[in-house]
Amino acid sequence: MALDETRIGLAHGNGGRFMRELIHEVFARHLGGGILDTDLDACPLPRMPDGELVFTTDGFTVQPLEFPGGDIGSLAVHGTTNDLAVAGASPLYLSLNVFIEEGLEIEVLDRIVASLARAAREAGVEVAAGDTKVVRRGEGGGLYLATTGIGVRPHGLRLSMKEIRPGDQVLVSGSVGDHGICVMLAREQFGLSGDLRTDAASVLPLTRALLELEGLRFMRDPTRGGLATVAHEIARATGHSVRLRETAIPVRDQVRSVCEMLGYDPYYLACEGRVVAVLAPEDAQRALAAWQALPEGRDAAIIGEVEAEGRPVVIETELGGRRMLEELEDDPLPRIC
Amino acid sequence: MPHLVVERHPNAGSSLTPGRRLWITGQVQGVGFRPFLFRLARRHGLSGWARNTVGEVEVLVCGTLPALDAFARDVVAKAPDIAAPRLRRVEDWEGAAPTGFSILPSATGATPRIFLPPDYFTCGDCLAELADPTDRRHRYPFINCTQCGPRYTLIRALPYDRANTSMARFPLCAACQREYQDPLDRRFHAEPVACPACGPQLAWQGAAGTAPETGAGALQACIASLSSGRLVAVKGIGGYHLVCDATDEAAIARLRRLKPRPGKPLAVMFPLAGADGLDALRRAARPTEAEAQLLSSPQRPIVLVAKRADALPELLAPGLAEIGAMLPYSPLHALLLDELQRPLVATSANISGEPVLTDGDEVEARLAHLVEGCLHHDRPIVRPADDPVWRTVGRRPRPLRLGRGSAPAEIDLATPVRRPLLAVGAHMKNAIALAWDDRCVLSPHIGDMGSERSMEVFEQVAADLQSLYGVRAEALACDAHPGYATARWARRQSLPLREVLHHHAHAAAVAAEMPAQGPLLVFAWDGVGYGGDGTLWGGEAFLGRPGSWRRVASFRPFRLPGGERAGREPWRSAAALCWEAGRDWPACPDHDGLGFAAWQRGLNTPTTSAAGRLFDAAAALTGVCLHASYEGEGPMLLEAAADGGAPQDAAALPLAMDTDGVLRADWAPLLDPLLDARRPVRERATLFHESLALTSAGIFAALRDRHEIAGVGATGGVMQNRRLTDRMQSLFAAAGVEFVLPARLPANDACIAFGQVVEQAAADAQGG
Repeated sequence: MALDETRIGLAHGNGGRFMRELIHEVFARHLGGGILDTDLDACPLPRMPDGELVFTTDGFTVQPLEFPGGDIGSLAVHGTTNDLAVAGASPLYLSLNVFIEEGLEIEVLDRIVASLARAAREAGVEVAAGDTKVVRRGEGGGLYLATTGIGVRPHGLRLSMKEIRPGDQVLVSGSVGDHGICVMLAREQFGLSGDLRTDAASVLPLTRALLELEGLRFMRDPTRGGLATVAHEIARATGHSVRLRETAIPVRDQVRSVCEMLGYDPYYLACEGRVVAVLAPEDAQRALAAWQALPEGRDAAIIGEVEAEGRPVVIETELGGRRMLEELEDDPLPRIC
Repeated sequence: MPHLVVERHPNAGSSLTPGRRLWITGQVQGVGFRPFLFRLARRHGLSGWARNTVGEVEVLVCGTLPALDAFARDVVAKAPDIAAPRLRRVEDWEGAAPTGFSILPSATGATPRIFLPPDYFTCGDCLAELADPTDRRHRYPFINCTQCGPRYTLIRALPYDRANTSMARFPLCAACQREYQDPLDRRFHAEPVACPACGPQLAWQGAAGTAPETGAGALQACIASLSSGRLVAVKGIGGYHLVCDATDEAAIARLRRLKPRPGKPLAVMFPLAGADGLDALRRAARPTEAEAQLLSSPQRPIVLVAKRADALPELLAPGLAEIGAMLPYSPLHALLLDELQRPLVATSANISGEPVLTDGDEVEARLAHLVEGCLHHDRPIVRPADDPVWRTVGRRPRPLRLGRGSAPAEIDLATPVRRPLLAVGAHMKNAIALAWDDRCVLSPHIGDMGSERSMEVFEQVAADLQSLYGVRAEALACDAHPGYATARWARRQSLPLREVLHHHAHAAAVAAEMPAQGPLLVFAWDGVGYGGDGTLWGGEAFLGRPGSWRRVASFRPFRLPGGERAGREPWRSAAALCWEAGRDWPACPDHDGLGFAAWQRGLNTPTTSAAGRLFDAAAALTGVCLHASYEGEGPMLLEAAADGGAPQDAAALPLAMDTDGVLRADWAPLLDPLLDARRPVRERATLFHESLALTSAGIFAALRDRHEIAGVGATGGVMQNRRLTDRMQSLFAAAGVEFVLPARLPANDACIAFGQVVEQAAADAQGG
């Protein structure tokens, strides 16, 4: 087969010249300049401030690779750094694993790595180590990424679902479902012209804004399974009931109307730049004010509270009904006739 | 009722006296039956005794032969209205006659066959006292006796004794105590007996900041409030009603706007008037003879009756030809309506789909946006019971909902269950069933199971039925749908569980009402239910018997855009048919094509063969209803729109055998006539009904050559449609086959729990 120089071939993963050039021209060009040294097998981490080390990893397989407001590259940074951030940590270093499917346009890869580098700079992390593999055509969705992150958080910080008490307030930092609907529309190429963008972003400013508060119990970014799934995790871990108020939960009009047409529930859709936080009631207003003062938290809201007794997750509807939000099903089938 | 010795002088005489021993079964406990025997024996000058034995009452009477004959006749014929005695056995007896008539303790070691009575209407005797200024219970809203009053909603535990009811907090005054202890009094052991001196009281809470009123003042305040067009919550027997003047269009409009309940019909309670009490009702509606009897029967249900044009505001039941009517069923209702002398809207005070509210604080909190006054009382409601609903379908009234007065419903099982079973029913219109041996008890309507309160009531009723009947479930049955809240609940318990396909349960429930021996053909047509192949069934026909159903016919499957949303948006079913058939539907609300694009890609588009969705599609394609504000609105409006004889071109849908050997009726030929805007809506709606009825007959005709069919049944929510079922009845009568529609239980999902029991019993019998 003739070599198409605009696309990734199997040779880009064989350890030879093509691979060296690819790493140099794409990865080192965008990610180098800091501690990343593509010639080293392992990299010492020089800058380690005092605190407790926090460590996490995540894989990324989103389709399509690029969507309004983001791509798999920025997502690979936000996904991992956000996991560190909601644990109360400042992310410091990332490793990056890249699985490229034979045939991916190099130009696309370049754009994605550039975006990844930009997102890393914004989140204040450095990519310290990496690896690249090429898989045969048909064995991967164009590009898969995996990132592992290290961060540091203050000693003695107690953030855990175990800290949650009845009466605690539940906050969300912004509208839910944007990312899920945006990616779905992009994937299905519905050709909808709208201004809906992913919410994918670093949540570090949001989490930092709350760390000072004595009453902060727990934070999580509602990714897969969305807000409803985080609420279920809280209910299961605490044995309490999470009560949400439908009218308080921010949902963009466009997300709402797409959900209505397609029969989806926005509370189950993924976000990639939001935080759900649980706070003691006395600090809830302060947390809300802190968030609303940030551009990322403009639409933040107190959306519910934790009660000692009751069904795991209950949402009070606009009409005053108290609907049970069930745990996400694989493939929700209609129950109503 | 406790086992109280009243008079006892056994074997006092020495000469031989003729006598008779009777064993009486049926509903004879908790209905004042033994006091009735006492009075009956006295009236005929007979001595003897009566006692409870297992599941029945055993009686000895001694005296003259004519008196003995008269007693045996009257014991059934003159039994209290709410009792249902059956003479199981009669034996001649001769011996030394006892003196007087005694009520003996229960036979040693006998466990009484427990019968949990429903809540009964106010009887004529009590109504007379209520109106009698010289009676000490004149205008007392909680008057009752052994023949009437609340039961199910105030019993906390068995034995059914005052201390175990929500009346325990009201110690009897001396006068009530005397009645309670006098075997000749009609309040002899009437557990909820009460009077103004010792019983419950009304309390009125008007607008915020106004002082509460009690007693007669509370009633007057409520009446004044209703007279001035206010929306009032009134505590009744099984819950609160939202009440307003049914002649006041503005009040009804406000109720609809605030509840909100834009279109769903509202039930109306009429004052008692005239010889049979129905005069006021007849001014607004035309009940048939059978409907009139049902309206006045002890359960006092809501009955859907043909409404008279312009008698009451159209807003009560917009677009429909019927109105839900009922008569007062508690003394409080009687007093209210007697005073107001006008019909009142009386709809369940709840959040849509949830069980009726029973607690005053909760009513004030959750309906604060709506009610402008509350008439409370201090007799607690232990568990909710909504009003039962009936409709004439297939030429006789049939239940659409069991509730206060009609449930718990007792059903004898032809095939017993091997071990005690709790069947948790469906998701919508949930009711549950407890079965043991050859008995099955079905709960009143609970509600739609998506809400927290429904789940709470569901759990309470499940626990209460077991403790009240003294039966602990050793197994569970649930619907096979993975997402039903009841099925999820059942899977979390640690009992053996049988998952029953939704439409098998439907078929089994109606099969249990069918006398035919041999294979049955059952049409189970409804909204959607989980099918054995992972698609959503609802237009199925099964051949067989409970425990062994074979799916023999269905409709051509189609994919529903937007999944669950299709249940409230008939346009989606219409769009599905048009898209499936490659037809243009200009009125389709999917303006930007997103719905179609998602449907093409299979996003949230489950496959269904449900007849209910075809009704939705027809309602949308004819423009009758594109968006429903309540379940079934599309089909109900479509039925109301249909009128007159069927057009010439109405025909059975073509049938074709699919690869699984299932006959598939193709709905495609309906699209042309349904979309033909040159034809009146009335004609198109009629054609649709006729085509579906003819299709059912066509399916039968296609099957009867190849299979033995002993009888045909039809069930599922679609069979609440009178036009369809009446027509099916005629077609099957003409075909010379027995045709049965459910008459004991609703055709809708309220029967699913019972069907689950029947399926389990059949499996038990087959050793499965």
